[in-house]
Amino acid sequence: MSTTHPGPARVQRSEPRPSAVTAKHLARAKVTRQRRGSKLKLWAGLVCTLIVVIPVALARVLPLPGPDQQDLASRRLAPFTDGHLFGTDQLGRDLLSRVLHGGQVSLLVGLLAVVVSGVIGVVLGAAAGYFGGWIDTVVSRLLEAQLSLPLLMMLLLVVALFGPSIPVITFVIAIAQWPEVARLTRSLVLVEREKPYVAAARVLGLHRFAILLRHVLPNVVKQASLVVLLLLAQAVLLESALSYLGAGPQRPFATWGRIISDGQDYITTSWWMVTLPGLVIVALVVGVNLLGDGLRDRARRRKASTS
Amino acid sequence: MAPYLFKRLGQSVLTVFLTISTVFVLIRMAPGDPAAAYAGPLATTEDLAKIRASFGLDRSVVEQYLLFLKGILTGDLGTSYSFRSPALDVVLERLPFTITLAVAAILITTVVSVPLGVWMARRADTTRELGANVVTIAGQSMPDFWSGIMLLTVFAVLIPVLPASGFATWGGLVLPALTVAILQIALISRLVRSEMAKNLTAPYLTVARSRGVSERALVWRYAMTNSSIPVVTALGTRFASMLNGVVVVEVVFAWPGVGSLVVRALETRDYPLIQATVLVTAALAVTVQLLVDLAYPLLDPRVRLGKKVSA
Repeated sequence: MSTTHPGPARVQRSEPRPSAVTAKHLARAKVTRQRRGSKLKLWAGLVCTLIVVIPVALARVLPLPGPDQQDLASRRLAPFTDGHLFGTDQLGRDLLSRVLHGGQVSLLVGLLAVVVSGVIGVVLGAAAGYFGGWIDTVVSRLLEAQLSLPLLMMLLLVVALFGPSIPVITFVIAIAQWPEVARLTRSLVLVEREKPYVAAARVLGLHRFAILLRHVLPNVVKQASLVVLLLLAQAVLLESALSYLGAGPQRPFATWGRIISDGQDYITTSWWMVTLPGLVIVALVVGVNLLGDGLRDRARRRKASTS
Repeated sequence: MAPYLFKRLGQSVLTVFLTISTVFVLIRMAPGDPAAAYAGPLATTEDLAKIRASFGLDRSVVEQYLLFLKGILTGDLGTSYSFRSPALDVVLERLPFTITLAVAAILITTVVSVPLGVWMARRADTTRELGANVVTIAGQSMPDFWSGIMLLTVFAVLIPVLPASGFATWGGLVLPALTVAILQIALISRLVRSEMAKNLTAPYLTVARSRGVSERALVWRYAMTNSSIPVVTALGTRFASMLNGVVVVEVVFAWPGVGSLVVRALETRDYPLIQATVLVTAALAVTVQLLVDLAYPLLDPRVRLGKKVSA
């Protein structure tokens, strides 16, 4: 038997005598199917993500017209005409170039938002889980309160208040997302806190912060980081919704939601102005979600096999 | 039961109060002058001052806040600047549309996602289940404004079978409700799947099966009942957040609900209208959450309200 299936093969190796379990049975086993499923998800996710991320990252290098370069003579050209892969918009701007340049802003906002919400969430969640008491009460109440807030309404309000700049939108999305990280971290820390090594560290006379920072957090961060990809997917969607409603970053380039809302007026005559930017968002978000899902499946299986 | 109810009621009132107070402060910090938005570009400074006085904006913020709180108790939330009628009336007029949309969407979601989730849990790790799994991931990856525009283009423009916007006939409800439901179906069916998968492998189910309980009863009566609390909680939370206005979808379909009202009120800095909308929707959302919590003992007799479940 091959060594590429360590799970089922290990069972076989421990029993070297002839077995009724054939390679065919192994290929059909539940574990093999699960492994195949998550591998498929990971690869499909990676491909979808890279198809979007690589061109977006290379937007400045690719031989494309500028995203704001108007050409009124070639307005609303269909895709694949005159070298415009995605066609042009109502002002004759190259749609692909607009999508890629706008994508840089969308991705940047998404990544920054995930980092900020991750830091806030891990810090507050860990503090609430480890110290308990009034810290836990305050954090848990905040989490609950945010659930019953009209979220998008509040986000629109804050953007109206401080203006649609990149830092404000990043911050707003981070505020929308931190509860998820905080709740997960809190529950993980609650479990970790009761383990013997924490008691041992306490007996050795380590400070509470030192135990939390050097011993508890490293054991939690790996599991908590699995939600990062799912958060990134949500952040990209949220940013596009805000910019669709006109509360997205305006500079330097219109982001995806805005490009779609611009194209909406021409949907009956120029389908590509809405459809193609939308498909780009879907490809990216599906890819990131698949990656996150596949990784989570794998982590769950690994945990199940060690326990 | 009674002390629990009072405690939860108190919490709900506090949540609504904090929400509305935050909004009150935030909109007054925002740049943009309601008087200027109201009067138009040709107004003189005196005109603006007069308008501001008539809106009560010449008073201090603290004074405005106290008046606003007094207004809540007497049911008078001020006059909307742009509609020139009581703000509460404007909101209540729009509210039935949002409720209709939310109810339709949550019905579609429940009817589709529960059977789908159960099916996925029973066929776990088959190729077909993997396919369904990927489809639900795709469903939660589409921006709702985009899927709305796509549905609209296909079913109202290319094949004109349904109205594109507004709510003149019941047909107008189909596309917005579907758009809202796509995302919810993806999320809820995945939740049903994971909850059911947990219960389908539980020892009590093996015991029941060995006693000869039919497969259908095992799935729907045994496993489903035990999965229902997280699922009902999620459905309730989703429903509550829809009542806060399905802002994006309402804008796409020009749906006359509170979501599109809020976007307009924010643009015109219509303070009383923003406050009234937030107050009404937040109160409604909190009520739904409370009702869901109160329904737990009906779903699971082991739950005693106000006490932590140990099982």
